[in-house]
Amino acid sequence: MAGLLVLPNGGPLTAQEADLERGREVYDRWCASCHGVEGDGLGPAAGYMLPRPRDFTRGLYQIRTTAGGEIPTDDDIMRMIDEGMPGTTMPGWQDQLSRRDREAVKDYIKSFYAPFETMAEPEPLDFGRAPRATAERIEEGRIFYDSIECWQCHGDTGRGYGSSGPELEDDRGYPIRAVDLTKNWKFNGGGSVEEIYRRLRTGMDGTPMPAFSDLVDAGFMTDDQLWNLAHFVRSLAPDDRPRVREVIRADKVEPGQVPRTVGDETWEEVEKFFIPLVAQIIILPRWFDPAVDGVWVQALHDGEEIALRLTWHDRSQSPDPAWMQWQERVLEVMEPVEGDPVEPDPRPDRFAVQFPPVIPDGMERPYFLMGNSERPVYLWQWQSDRDGAEPARARGMLDVETLSGSIEADAQWEAGRWQLVLRRNLEPSDSEGRLHFETGTPIPIAFFAWDGDNAEEGPRGSVSSWFFIYLSEDPPPSTYVAPVVAFLLTGGLGLVVVARAQRRERALGGGTTGDPDPAVHPPPHDDHRDDGADGGGDSGPEDDPRPPP
Amino acid sequence: MRDYLRHPFWQAIAVFVASYVLIKWGIPYIPPLLGFSSAMVPSSVIIQYMLTVGVGILVWVSDNEARWKRFKEPIRNLLVRPERRRARRVFLVLVPLLMAFVTYDAVRPKVTAPAGLRSVHPANPTSITVNGETLVLEGLENPFREEGREEEGYELGLEIYYQNCMPCHGDYLDGQGHYAHGYNPLPLPLRGGGTIAQLTESYVFWRIAKGGPGLPREGAPWNSAMPAWEAFLTPEEMWAVTFFLYQQAGISPRTWDEH
Amino acid sequence: MRYSQWTSRALAAVLVLGLAAACGDAPDEAPDEPEEAEMPFDVGTAGHVEGMVMYEGDPPPPEEMDMSSEPDCDAHWDVTPTRDVVKVSDGHLGDVFVYVKEGLEGMDFPTTRQAVVMDQVGCRYTPMVIGAMTGQTVTFRNSDGLLHNVNATPTNNRPFNLSQPVNMDTDRTFTEPEVMIPVRCDVHGWMRGYVGIASHPYHVVTGEGGSFDLSDLPPGDYVIEAWHSQLGTQEQTVTVETGETAQVTFTFSEDMLNTAVVPLGDPIYPHRVDQADPESGHGAHEHAPAARTLTSAPDVR
Repeated sequence: MAGLLVLPNGGPLTAQEADLERGREVYDRWCASCHGVEGDGLGPAAGYMLPRPRDFTRGLYQIRTTAGGEIPTDDDIMRMIDEGMPGTTMPGWQDQLSRRDREAVKDYIKSFYAPFETMAEPEPLDFGRAPRATAERIEEGRIFYDSIECWQCHGDTGRGYGSSGPELEDDRGYPIRAVDLTKNWKFNGGGSVEEIYRRLRTGMDGTPMPAFSDLVDAGFMTDDQLWNLAHFVRSLAPDDRPRVREVIRADKVEPGQVPRTVGDETWEEVEKFFIPLVAQIIILPRWFDPAVDGVWVQALHDGEEIALRLTWHDRSQSPDPAWMQWQERVLEVMEPVEGDPVEPDPRPDRFAVQFPPVIPDGMERPYFLMGNSERPVYLWQWQSDRDGAEPARARGMLDVETLSGSIEADAQWEAGRWQLVLRRNLEPSDSEGRLHFETGTPIPIAFFAWDGDNAEEGPRGSVSSWFFIYLSEDPPPSTYVAPVVAFLLTGGLGLVVVARAQRRERALGGGTTGDPDPAVHPPPHDDHRDDGADGGGDSGPEDDPRPPP
Repeated sequence: MRDYLRHPFWQAIAVFVASYVLIKWGIPYIPPLLGFSSAMVPSSVIIQYMLTVGVGILVWVSDNEARWKRFKEPIRNLLVRPERRRARRVFLVLVPLLMAFVTYDAVRPKVTAPAGLRSVHPANPTSITVNGETLVLEGLENPFREEGREEEGYELGLEIYYQNCMPCHGDYLDGQGHYAHGYNPLPLPLRGGGTIAQLTESYVFWRIAKGGPGLPREGAPWNSAMPAWEAFLTPEEMWAVTFFLYQQAGISPRTWDEH
Repeated sequence: MRYSQWTSRALAAVLVLGLAAACGDAPDEAPDEPEEAEMPFDVGTAGHVEGMVMYEGDPPPPEEMDMSSEPDCDAHWDVTPTRDVVKVSDGHLGDVFVYVKEGLEGMDFPTTRQAVVMDQVGCRYTPMVIGAMTGQTVTFRNSDGLLHNVNATPTNNRPFNLSQPVNMDTDRTFTEPEVMIPVRCDVHGWMRGYVGIASHPYHVVTGEGGSFDLSDLPPGDYVIEAWHSQLGTQEQTVTVETGETAQVTFTFSEDMLNTAVVPLGDPIYPHRVDQADPESGHGAHEHAPAARTLTSAPDVR
């Protein structure tokens, strides 16, 4: 990176000025497109992201180790530069920029807010150490979660669907979502229990998340209780971020046992496959702020029917009148306005599962974004304001045509989560444009989701790339026969080799090997030995006389 | 220990194992320590390499009569010596078991995605039509570079890049934008010597203008999430962003001007 | 999970009441010493300003607050509460922050000792507008016993966002003069309050009668400003003479509702510029900094 730094001509710079100049160079190159040349968070790309990039001129930092409302320590700012902020568009720069460049950027960022110069660097709070998580602590944390009303924003189940949701705004009036506590990999300040505890103590300045240090200081709750709360919050998320696998396995169940409802207990035993969903930013109109970021897929079949259970988090059951104001606000702030302007409107939630109309032979398949005019796709479309789901054929996102017939569907929104079961016979009612599911072969599959209360509809939504679904079949008998055959063949061959070697040894050296190995003569193996060994009448090509050992 | 090291049989085994370790882990992990990029060796290539190594070893051990004899000794001992009886039996059970397992692994129904082979940089067409104008790609130059409008190209390209390309190709042009994880194949990293550094600007312009849908079959156009940017941007803007990519990724000599 | 919220909340309330009783309310115990110890001028020479804030035209129809998401607050009110953003009675305008904007430069006034309280009752800030002096204790009180957060977003002062899940007082002081600091509760999006901070004690918030009284000012010429959360600001100059009472009348009117630029420490985000200032001509895509009038004194630290 050293070659990058071009100092302006002119007088020599002091070390500090040179450092600041270096910071400016690096900042202008890598940070300004979002945070703005002036540090006001209004760079050219800012309008394409929510939450918006930080405005450094206000000296307000979400992730700190200092008390609520205080300026951050230098280490706090460095940590954000190094590690980025999960759940936002801010990446980590640790592996990208040199330590010196990052330090210089940190100093330059501080220069946007004058009080950094006059205010003494605050002392970080003493956070102590995390007590071990126990069931009792988590339970106590849950009681506190309820009693201090974290659910007002985060919801009873932590899925971020609290009643305050539609009105939440950040320090600059932009709409902001209460974080879904079950997805700790998206926590802005990190998802470990220590990091959660710190956010509770310090609050997240500039967001609706308040600080709890006052409560601890005033004796309204103890530090230990706050740790319990942190443990409870941590326990809402899985141990690890879900792994993405390319193939969804649909296990086979007994005929007639394919579950029909979302509440069927059979589903609890079925493996979940996480499919990430991201913004549709490929065709016009694009949508840079999708609300659905992933779906868990479970699948079963019984040789006759296939059922999928799809689970995704959604803060509301659209259309929900309470969320109209969210729609208004999110439409107002999300650039770009592409195509016709969009009005807030009561829109349903939608979901679509995409297949090719026929299982492709080679690797070629329809365009993943709902096909094109040459190769259409086959869709199962569901929306929250209608019963059932319908089959459709699409030749691109803007050319979707409903097919006759229907797909069995059962859907339920509960506590910030949709669950949807879609079911169809493996054999289509009408082969026209509809997939015939086959077992034992990977079938391309893709997913689309729309949150109506987030103004999503048509191309404004979340999409996935192609994945595969594999309908398991009873393994063919060869699966079990082949290894046995292999075992017997190899074992037999081994015995033949040993027997021949020993025979030759006896013929040559006459008893040098001592008594013959009983291992080659046990009755059960005799057959094999005889089978292979009688070819051994030949004396073999070995003609070098063996010296006595 | 010494005896073992001198023994051709054990030497052969050691060479074989060391070769495997080197090919399997040495190739991907050692060059990065020295600052070169590298990647895992595909298993089919490993098998080829190991076959070559095996043949080499056989040639070496059989090249000299005495060595060949010594080489065979431990094998012969295992097959015939009475004091090796126990080891012999163990081998006679373990090897067939291993074969049975390998066979099972080969024939059991597998839940894997079919191989998605694609050419990352397929051959470009001779000409493309953008905005009604037919452009012959060969010899086509970036007007911003050609006309020396470098400042302008960089500024315009920067704005366009961070508004449009950054969500996938990343703030650092490393292919790690915040939506990159949702697309398959992953967005191309633009920095480093391996990607656009190897391509002409006209090729990059073609890729930007026509995107995934404009790929030939061998590029797997059905999977690529690259938009056809001609629907969003003017040719001028696409040239600017092309210029910007090289500049920002430090591939352009102007930016990476070594002292 | 809800089943246990009420019980656990009750438990927490009991716990907290006990603690609160033990801790006591610090600001109430303070005034032992005489207040105006060392005014920076001869108090005997003081004069006064009296005045009235008037409103012409029809006030906007009261907006009903939908508190259905918070049943406790909903139950607090017999009739559906309204958002009294323009509080007019008989032509007199309430909730106006009136203060001496210019004329006291260089004078160092002792900090007012009495704490000023902004209470939260029935999910409304009571009063909605308060004024305080730099260094003076501002007490945010939760009398609702349910979760409020007090999210203050000043510009000159450091921001804070307090959590108050139970009946409690939390004290804060502000170091810099600032007109005005918005305060909101994110849990109950309809709750908006305003805190005005002056570097001196000559500030007042009008009550329902619209009248105000700034007494014991040193003689001199002053600029008095009146600030209203929807109607913007007005200034008047006035001369104060020893022993005299100068009269000032501010008049706001209906048509200011749509055109007023309300100075807040908080920048208003770009998209609202259009509404606030139709003449500015900013397109919705332009990231022009918000129209923002900083009326507070420059950094005096």
